[in-house]
Amino acid sequence: MNKHALRDWGPRLAVLAVAVALWEYFLSRSQNFLLPTFSHIATGLFHLIFFEPRFWEALYISNQALIFGYATAVMIGVPLGLIAARLPWMDRFLNPYFAVLLVMPVAPLIPIVIIALGLGLAARVFIVVSFALVFITINTRAGVRSIEPTLIEMAKSFGAKETQIWRRIIVPGALPAIFAGLRIGLGRAITGMVMVELLLVASGLGRLLLEFSGRMQSDMVFATVLAVIIEALALLSAMQFLERKIAPWAPNISIG
Amino acid sequence: MKSVTASETVVKTTAARNIGSSPGLQRSVRHYALEVFALLAGAVIWESLGWSLGLQWLPPFSQVLVALVQFLASGLILSNLQSSLLSLIVGFALSLVFGLFLGALMGRYRVVEKAFDVYVHALFVCPSILFAPIFFAIFGLSDASRIAIIFVYSTFVIVINTATAIRTVEPSLVEMAYSFGCREHQIFTRILLPASLPLVFAGIRLGMGRAVKGMINGEMLIAFVGLGALAQKYGAQFDAAKVFAIAMVVLIIGLVSNAFVQALESRLTRWAD
Amino acid sequence: MIRVKNLTKEFGSMDNGGGSVLALSSIDFEVRDNEFVTVIGPSGCGKTTLLRIIAGLISYQHGEVSIDSHPVVGPGPERAVVFQNFALLPWTDVLGNVTFGLDVRGATKNDSQAKAKELIKLVGLEGFERRLPKELSGGMQQRVGLARALAVNPRILLMDEPFGALDEQTRRLLQEQLLQLWERERKTVVFITHSMEEAVMLGDRVMLMTPRPGKVKEMIDIPLKRPRPPDIEKSAAFIEIKEYLWENLRAMQTDQP
Repeated sequence: MNKHALRDWGPRLAVLAVAVALWEYFLSRSQNFLLPTFSHIATGLFHLIFFEPRFWEALYISNQALIFGYATAVMIGVPLGLIAARLPWMDRFLNPYFAVLLVMPVAPLIPIVIIALGLGLAARVFIVVSFALVFITINTRAGVRSIEPTLIEMAKSFGAKETQIWRRIIVPGALPAIFAGLRIGLGRAITGMVMVELLLVASGLGRLLLEFSGRMQSDMVFATVLAVIIEALALLSAMQFLERKIAPWAPNISIG
Repeated sequence: MKSVTASETVVKTTAARNIGSSPGLQRSVRHYALEVFALLAGAVIWESLGWSLGLQWLPPFSQVLVALVQFLASGLILSNLQSSLLSLIVGFALSLVFGLFLGALMGRYRVVEKAFDVYVHALFVCPSILFAPIFFAIFGLSDASRIAIIFVYSTFVIVINTATAIRTVEPSLVEMAYSFGCREHQIFTRILLPASLPLVFAGIRLGMGRAVKGMINGEMLIAFVGLGALAQKYGAQFDAAKVFAIAMVVLIIGLVSNAFVQALESRLTRWAD
Repeated sequence: MIRVKNLTKEFGSMDNGGGSVLALSSIDFEVRDNEFVTVIGPSGCGKTTLLRIIAGLISYQHGEVSIDSHPVVGPGPERAVVFQNFALLPWTDVLGNVTFGLDVRGATKNDSQAKAKELIKLVGLEGFERRLPKELSGGMQQRVGLARALAVNPRILLMDEPFGALDEQTRRLLQEQLLQLWERERKTVVFITHSMEEAVMLGDRVMLMTPRPGKVKEMIDIPLKRPRPPDIEKSAAFIEIKEYLWENLRAMQTDQP
């Protein structure tokens, strides 16, 4: 196992090395003197994490929207998806809206949210919710619908009541897809948070980025973005790990 | 871990598929009656709420439609639309070329797959909008920034789908071709290419949707021209009807391009079940 | 003539870090020209592996595999394979599938299509040239596979349980048809099967293999007359050979853990 892992990392590191080399080459050729080298970015990141309390402050503020927004989206989206899947008439009614919302980009509507809710936390949370909600709902619904009807028939034949069917068949059966939806929704929520930060430039990371770019500190701009990328990847990997643990038999249906 | 994510993207979005596919007009009208009714009902509710509540941010649906028609009639939307669409086409074309190429290599050669899979996966799950400030720093306020954002949005789903498509070609077909004396390049053109078409198209459709999102998200942030800039402008003017109208224009772009790719797909993959 | 001498095939460990699998061990046999040899053995005995080696699709570690004294190093124009799951190109019609082998070797379109049409008629699929594989039944698909193999005019036909995926009725019809075709032009055939009836019905000789690692247990002559009469299965000789096969196979199976 170890030998193979090493063998895998060889080409991977080679690709990374080539990418860094290309970046440095591109830098040397470009007119833009502000672009940071790889080492600048690395030191910038180090500085950001360990020596810049404002970074952590900004992170805290920005993530509030993420946490509240994501939690709300989950608390609304999962039940909505479950109900939509179980009530056929409601499902067919909501279907076209789901289809539209899947394809509809949320970003252009952000100005409307600002008109309605201003620039505070409420607006930011609302935007994060609107990015994430549809995907969580749809995947939950798909999960319920993927359950073999014969299983439910079987349960009924043994006299199971609706609540028992839910507890013993539907929820466990839909769990893999629900978790897939949670993971995709998390990615969408993070996107929403970033859009909020960059568009509203309130008091979190967006503000920090604006400051750095205003002061021509492009290495810090890169470092900040890199830090958020790391946070996003960490959260999503954790989610994926959870997903694998909860449902290793996941049938691989997911939308988004 | 990675293969789980790879195969998920391969599933077609069933919801998006329903729109734009009509076997026969009469049949589809009857079939979708309830759905159409649902949308109409929503429009009616929107309309009445718009009039009754009188909120600045919720104009009646009819006003949105009026704004939409005004847009389409006037030249204003056209020039912005043109600029947006041009970036979209260039960005998407680039991501197609790069995505199909890298995906094919990754699908065919294990070494390439191992080398790139970590990065492709990371870039795929990472919210692509995060690269906007980076591209802005590199390219400034220019079309290149927008194109780069669209590229990042759509490429990786294409890479993953293409790689999976090629990797999951039925081995017996490859063996059969080999038994009849096919050389490597013949196996690629006669077997791998046609066999992988359905899944590759799924990736292209998904990539198309992502490209549209990248276009509008990118333009909202790096807004100096294009639909995104317009949305910002009208938002600042508190003109909600116009902002909704722009959102609808983007929605239409998304649906039309999706239908287009789907039509192409069904023509080229009629043989698949 | 196909000559296999002392053939040994081992499947090495790849990603699992475990041990290797000895599929075939010191296989020795010959197939004479124009002979129809059926190969039967317990599951996992390596008969498909053997066929693949003769077809030139996989390599082997020890021994000699030669066709008319030329060692087998890869696929060649004198051999054609018919596959168990048909291996038809789903995106091409019947005509396109039958011309596949010819197209790959650079035949002109006219030539290959003419030849293909001839064979399509021969296997009884006239009129179906433009159909896609998904529109055909299993039996019809395999007939396309057969036509494709015959189109390249091989001297040797290698058939890997070609009727295994079909229902019994279709299988019997195709067996009859295969024998008819073979009587017209007696190619050398190596035919893998797990059905004893099929082995005795079709072959001039039956090669009986042992469980893994596969060896040749016995080569059994089938002195039944050619062409096979329709009620051959009821004849005493047929039943005797079939029962002999079954006794041996059964004994080999029960020895397995």
